Amino acid sequence: MTSSTTDAPRPDVEPAAGATTNGGGPLGVVKRAFGMESASVLVATVALILVIGAIHPDFLDPRQLRDVLQQSVYVAILAAGVAFLLAMREIDLSVGAIFGLTLICSAILMRDGWNPWVAVVAGVVLGALLGLANALIVQVFRIPAIVATLATLSMFRGLSLALSNGQQVVGLPLDHAFFDIFGGRVLGIPVSVLVLVVVAIVLTFVLRTTPFGYRIRSIGSNPDAAAFSGISVARVRIQALMLMGGLAGLAGMLGLAFFGSGDPNIGSGFELLAIAAAVIGGTQLRGGSATVVGAMLGAVLLSVVTSGLVYFNIPVNWSSFATGAVILIAVGIDSLLRRRREARAAAAGL
Amino acid sequence: MFALEAQHVRKTYGGVTALADAGLRVRPGTVHALLGENGAGKSTLVKIITGAVRPDAGVLRLEGSDVSFSDTADAARHGVAVVSQELSLFPDLDVLSNMFPMREPRRGPFVDRRRMAALARPILDQLGLRVSLKDRVGDLSLAQRQLLEVAKALVTDPRVLILDEPTSALDSKTAEVLLDILRVLRDRQVAVVFVSHILEEVMALCDEVTILRDGRTVLDAAPLAGLTIPKIVESMLGERHAELAETRPEATVDLSGTVGAPDGSGVLRVQDVSVEDRLEGVSLTAAPGEVVGMAGVAGAGHQVVLELVAGLRQPSSGQVLLPDGSPAPKGLRAAIARGVALVTGDRRRLGLMLDKPIWDNAGQVRSVALARDGLLVRKGALRRRAGEHAGRVNLRTSSLDKSAGLLSGGNQQKVVLMKWLQTQPSVLLLDDPTRGVDIGAKAEMHGLVRSVAEAGAVVLLCSTDLDELATLCDRVFVLHHGRVCAELAGETLRQHEILAAMNTGSVATA
Ligand SMILES: Nc1ncnc2c1ncn2[C@@H]1O[C@H](COP(=O)(O)OP(=O)(O)OP(=O)(O)O)[C@@H](O)[C@H]1O
Ligand SMILES: [Mg+2]
Repeated sequence: MTSSTTDAPRPDVEPAAGATTNGGGPLGVVKRAFGMESASVLVATVALILVIGAIHPDFLDPRQLRDVLQQSVYVAILAAGVAFLLAMREIDLSVGAIFGLTLICSAILMRDGWNPWVAVVAGVVLGALLGLANALIVQVFRIPAIVATLATLSMFRGLSLALSNGQQVVGLPLDHAFFDIFGGRVLGIPVSVLVLVVVAIVLTFVLRTTPFGYRIRSIGSNPDAAAFSGISVARVRIQALMLMGGLAGLAGMLGLAFFGSGDPNIGSGFELLAIAAAVIGGTQLRGGSATVVGAMLGAVLLSVVTSGLVYFNIPVNWSSFATGAVILIAVGIDSLLRRRREARAAAAGL
Repeated sequence: MFALEAQHVRKTYGGVTALADAGLRVRPGTVHALLGENGAGKSTLVKIITGAVRPDAGVLRLEGSDVSFSDTADAARHGVAVVSQELSLFPDLDVLSNMFPMREPRRGPFVDRRRMAALARPILDQLGLRVSLKDRVGDLSLAQRQLLEVAKALVTDPRVLILDEPTSALDSKTAEVLLDILRVLRDRQVAVVFVSHILEEVMALCDEVTILRDGRTVLDAAPLAGLTIPKIVESMLGERHAELAETRPEATVDLSGTVGAPDGSGVLRVQDVSVEDRLEGVSLTAAPGEVVGMAGVAGAGHQVVLELVAGLRQPSSGQVLLPDGSPAPKGLRAAIARGVALVTGDRRRLGLMLDKPIWDNAGQVRSVALARDGLLVRKGALRRRAGEHAGRVNLRTSSLDKSAGLLSGGNQQKVVLMKWLQTQPSVLLLDDPTRGVDIGAKAEMHGLVRSVAEAGAVVLLCSTDLDELATLCDRVFVLHHGRVCAELAGETLRQHEILAAMNTGSVATA
């Protein structure tokens, strides 16, 4: 993008002050690749890995790091969708339940003899439809999404349990190509991680260069002004919640490929992790902006915390507390870094 | 002895100098005008005096002793109240709660709402603000919110009262009420600072004047008696002093081709339209090339006509035909897609994304809402187009990356106009489009509006500024209680006639 040219309509009146803020250099390249907002969460994640690694060098084993990444994929995909929603001042608490329900449904279909590919496509479509259901509830009853999806969270989770009778869904055709490909690795990298990268690229592109992405941020920035400019808030909300559902479905399919069975309780609590990851990644709760890569890195950070803690002999009953404390520290550092940067931008008068 | 004294105040935001060396000295028992063009630093100086912004340098004295306020609440405790330009009300709270932010009278640990009401009611009545104390502030009109902001300052019983463009959203009658109140305060020895771009008001009200230009005081506490409007304008603009003709504005740029030419007859028709409780049998037409004004006191129905054309309301009888000959669609979105543009004076609430850069705001309708640039929105293209339009409306900013919220009030208004001009509208609806715009920029914007009309668009204007209606419009329809009571044009189109018709509902036959 044209970051170096600054139009100054009246240069005779005031000097162009913004010309130097988007500088180049190697740091500039990194910043542009990850987006300014996600630079600090990347720093925080790497720092945390190095600290754990310094105390327990085993943690730096590539296989260990690969597993950490692999485990973060599901929450990372959900977090990317949540970032979109937060950017337009919406939220979806049912994402973990959609993840679980799509996974269970596809598992049941496969067990009952459907072609796995068809079952997988059905799973993703189901996710989008569940998102549509959320949007319609919000629309018809005119209730906030946080309330609507709190209800559907229970309903979707309840459906998973009802359809599976509360049992693991097993007996899937594990030798089918679907499980081979999406549960496997290419060049040592889990395929699900590759999918995550593709999703990151596509969603970033959508957010930054399509009218849909601009509309999302417009609405989050000032909903009244957006509506006054001819943006249909209702339509964008439907699209965003469907996107969210579809992403949850996609995550569900990756989970199914990896686990090879359907646990009706899988994904419980993912909604909070996904929201946390999005916020850690630099998406603001007041709306108006989002970073997909940041949200995904936030999920990785959370995954590093949970995996890393295993290396420290923390009594089981304290592990939850320790997880929270580490998250707080990581987020605190991240937030301080961000403040410094914003103060600098404000001083530049932008 | 001055009630309030600020000297050698400096403030820079990064590379942008908002105040270079500004001062203000106000005597008790006077109304002091603080003038300057958009971006001259008036609001910044006001914010510094009231403790909302910290200066880089400068001294502040209140009745002779040095002070520095930590925030506006601190200033209020010392008897300095401010009515800020950008309204600072809480939209989700009711009127009463908004009048006592953080200093509500208490009875024990509880808020004493009865006492609050007893204090608030007389002030609201005095201002002629007829709202219930329980009304949600977000539901009030811009004018009502502006008056409420004044009421909120008055309730603190200040020694120094600073008003930053308090009348910009008020119609002339309501503004007159406010000016009378300020005269009463003057008699009570309050020091009043009055910021405004409406120089007629200033001439009628003020005793002394201070003028800022590019962040410097160029005229310091001069008695107004020896000054005329042209002299004031001259020192506001300095060398930039352009010929500000008192006559009709001419088209300044050739916009032909940038305005959507409608297919049908090209004439906008409102035919015998009624809206329950608001309009009764209103008919009017507006042809391409014309600027048609609509006037009326608040609630007279002129704004309802704009809403009808914009699809925000449906008529209960009669019909509204857009220039292409078909009825006005349901809903603003559809109207916009058909070439209607709605420039609002309520810029912060309905016009702008304050936290987004100028170029992003400028492309919001054309590239984002209408997706006219195709499936991809290119930042480079948005910036380029924003740059072109910024040049046209003479936007004063250091960079197109500046957040819209950091621009001075008048420049924010120009960004709103920019974003609609980009859509190449065939119908341009203007609702107080030059609210808070300085005299030079206003002339530029009027020239622009004429250019849009000349290029073949239909232009409908509602304004609280009678001068604007009288000079910019070819014809003005005056509404009274939901009916058209007069159509003024040519010789009869003068401020005096408009005002008379607005208030009496009939044309003076003098
Ligand atoms: N927070 C800020 N950050 C950067 N620049 C700012 C900030 N606040 C004001 N400015 C700049 O300082 C200058 C003076 O602005 P100010 O709001 O004081 O003008 P004003 O005289 O009140 O104009 P208007 O008549 O349009 O209200 C403008 O160039 C404005 O863009
Ligand atoms: Mg101002």
